[in-house]
Amino acid sequence: MKRRLNSKNPASLIIGLVVLAILAIAILGAPLLAPYDPVAQNAAERLEKPSDKHWLGTDRFGRDILSRTLHGGQTTLLSSLLALCAALAIGLLVGMAAGMFHGSALDHILMRIIDVLLAFPFMVFAMVIAGLFGTGLVHLLLAVVSVWWVSFARLTRSVVLHAKNETSYAAAKVLGASNLAIMRKELLPKAISPVLILATFELGTLILSIAALSFLGLGAQPPAPEWGSMLADGRAHFFQAPHILIGPAAFIVATVLAFNLIGEGLRDRLDPYEKLEL
Amino acid sequence: MSCDNHAEALEVKGLQVAYEQNGRRTTVLNSLDFKLGKGEILVLLGESGSGKSTIAKAVSGMLPPSARIGGGSLRVGAERISDLGKPGIPWERIRGRGIAMLFQDAQSALNPVMKIKDHFKESLLFHGLASPEEAAAISAAMLERLNFKDVRHILECYPFQLSGGMCQRICLALALCLEPAVLIADEPTSALDTVSQKEVLDLLRRLQREMGLTVLLITHDIAVANAVGSRVIVLNKGVIEEEGDTRTVLTRPASAYTRELLAARNRIARPARGLSPAAGKPVLEIVRLSKTFGGKKRVLRQVDLTLNEREILGILGQSGCGKSTLAKCVAGLERPSEGSILLRGAEIGYLKGKARRETSKRIQLVFQDARASLNPGRTALQLVQEPLQYLRIGGKEEREALAAYYLSEVGIADEAQTRRPPQLSTGQCQRIAIARALVLRPDILICDEAVSALDMSVQAQILELLQRLQRQFGFSILMISHDIRVLRAFCHHIAVMSNGSFGERKQESGRLHESRQPHTQLLLKCAGDMEDGLV
Repeated sequence: MKRRLNSKNPASLIIGLVVLAILAIAILGAPLLAPYDPVAQNAAERLEKPSDKHWLGTDRFGRDILSRTLHGGQTTLLSSLLALCAALAIGLLVGMAAGMFHGSALDHILMRIIDVLLAFPFMVFAMVIAGLFGTGLVHLLLAVVSVWWVSFARLTRSVVLHAKNETSYAAAKVLGASNLAIMRKELLPKAISPVLILATFELGTLILSIAALSFLGLGAQPPAPEWGSMLADGRAHFFQAPHILIGPAAFIVATVLAFNLIGEGLRDRLDPYEKLEL
Repeated sequence: MSCDNHAEALEVKGLQVAYEQNGRRTTVLNSLDFKLGKGEILVLLGESGSGKSTIAKAVSGMLPPSARIGGGSLRVGAERISDLGKPGIPWERIRGRGIAMLFQDAQSALNPVMKIKDHFKESLLFHGLASPEEAAAISAAMLERLNFKDVRHILECYPFQLSGGMCQRICLALALCLEPAVLIADEPTSALDTVSQKEVLDLLRRLQREMGLTVLLITHDIAVANAVGSRVIVLNKGVIEEEGDTRTVLTRPASAYTRELLAARNRIARPARGLSPAAGKPVLEIVRLSKTFGGKKRVLRQVDLTLNEREILGILGQSGCGKSTLAKCVAGLERPSEGSILLRGAEIGYLKGKARRETSKRIQLVFQDARASLNPGRTALQLVQEPLQYLRIGGKEEREALAAYYLSEVGIADEAQTRRPPQLSTGQCQRIAIARALVLRPDILICDEAVSALDMSVQAQILELLQRLQRQFGFSILMISHDIRVLRAFCHHIAVMSNGSFGERKQESGRLHESRQPHTQLLLKCAGDMEDGLV
């Protein structure tokens, strides 16, 4: 009775993948699909409501919102994926090292760094980085990556500690495997699937955070389109022209939802505990 | 209800169970009938895959979702269920009061964050049998009845503070508090050593006599069946091969299958011929070895032991006596706290990094759970090449040839070499693990309970294989086990370990009974009692 209704049910995975595929086509195909130049201003068509000409209306400079949303997606998605990959790599590396040398000075130092980073408010940290190095997308990504790897490291470490109690770990040691070989052949394969599942969930939050920081003006600089900064732009005209927000907001919601659905689907497929069923 | 006057406590009729996976259907039980009289101990004896655990799960409503019940009726005490396959059976009412369960791993059956007294309270209150105040008195009385000393202390303990045997007796006490119509014990003693095993079985028998307890005991172990059961059902591939009085079935079996089972067991029990007493030079010397965990828990105390060339040495001991820790120290998985381990005169106990890895070529370890030691994603051929890759021995083709050679030596034929562990039997996995150890041509092979988890017939095969390989390649074997029968048949010498040390020097295995150590005598007596009457 208590079995989750969606376990083994691939619906969420399929829906997530389909939504993501549509988004990816739209965003990657932006140069072909977008009806207008995303930065071309047109003073005659400022703050226009959605119409045949401009499906999502125009912003305060008369720029086509649909075109800007599609182009802006490239920046947002690409930068979040980049940040995620970097965070994933650092997290796996640190987690493996800490888990492999559990109890050593290295483990203690790494774990305390993680504790500090977890305790520190992320937004404040990002603003400090922006204050030190200046605003811009690269600095924004730097700030995100330098905080984001901790959850992956924590997870990897706990998976590694668990795997070290298993017979296969002892067997590899007895067979003469070096620490590096054990990490590569025994520990990494075990860590990778839970970490990937976490990553799909985290990607949604990551996109939101990058958008939020851009909204605060720390990310992509005008006139380059970016979902978060588009929201920030629209804020001033929210009561006159609420449609300005709809385009980027809808895309953010759809992307985050797609990744969360994929994450959930992957978890149901890859969760080691599900495999225990006969 | 009228059913109350039945003489049977449990009646199963026409039970059919199949498992369905990826559209494939495997029938496990085919129209099975049996009865269990009140106050009777019935043993279901069968090897793995015989469907004996499926019976226990089917009658307690605990089958996994992949199981399909084709049909079957069940009667437990006053409850009658005409079709087990239909949903909506009131299992909450049947489990506990109708059918109580005892599992193999008692320690994990108990909740680690709950004190023993809270386990009792929870189960008594849930079934509405006592108020919180009464619960304490009932549980104390029950524990006393089950031979527990210092009951008040035990009630305050957490499960992990107690031994496996104690936990199993606590589970038994928990079950009995609810006065169940039937107690189903699924391999209740397989994880225990001989002494605790006998304790639990004796207790079951006494409770049956005194309280009229009805037990359905499921086991693969003929000695357990012999020690406890009045009636036995021999199960093979979901079909009842033979049913009858335990003594008759085990001494004068009617079915060919039962005869095979008994023969496999006797094949090990017979002192091995062709084993020459070892008289080689010492290859491994352990001198005053101690191991302390966390600064206080002393697991090994000043252990001395010598293993000669071509010798098969058995280490016998109860669970928790430190024999596995000794194996780990020798294999380089644990660092000793004190003392030395000399391999042909060279200290190996404290090596690190590359030097430690080099000793892997000289000392190899075979684990109890072979399947868990093998990566499920790789083929047998790849698995055996692993140590060669780790230690950079040979080229690609040479490795493959070596792996194929050793696999055929352990009896893994050509087509099985490309299969992966999930497609192989437990015995085949153990063979692969042995091949993987031997491919490095070690001087010493440590077998840590390497045959304990295997069925009787497979156990005999693996032991015969090890004997043949030992003669062929001339390595020494350190055989660690709690099973006196296996060691007596297989080893030249046996050393008995208790509480982290050897009470006396190793003895010739044929003369173990001459030992004056009280602990050795206790182990021998327990094993002897269990087998009493068996041929």
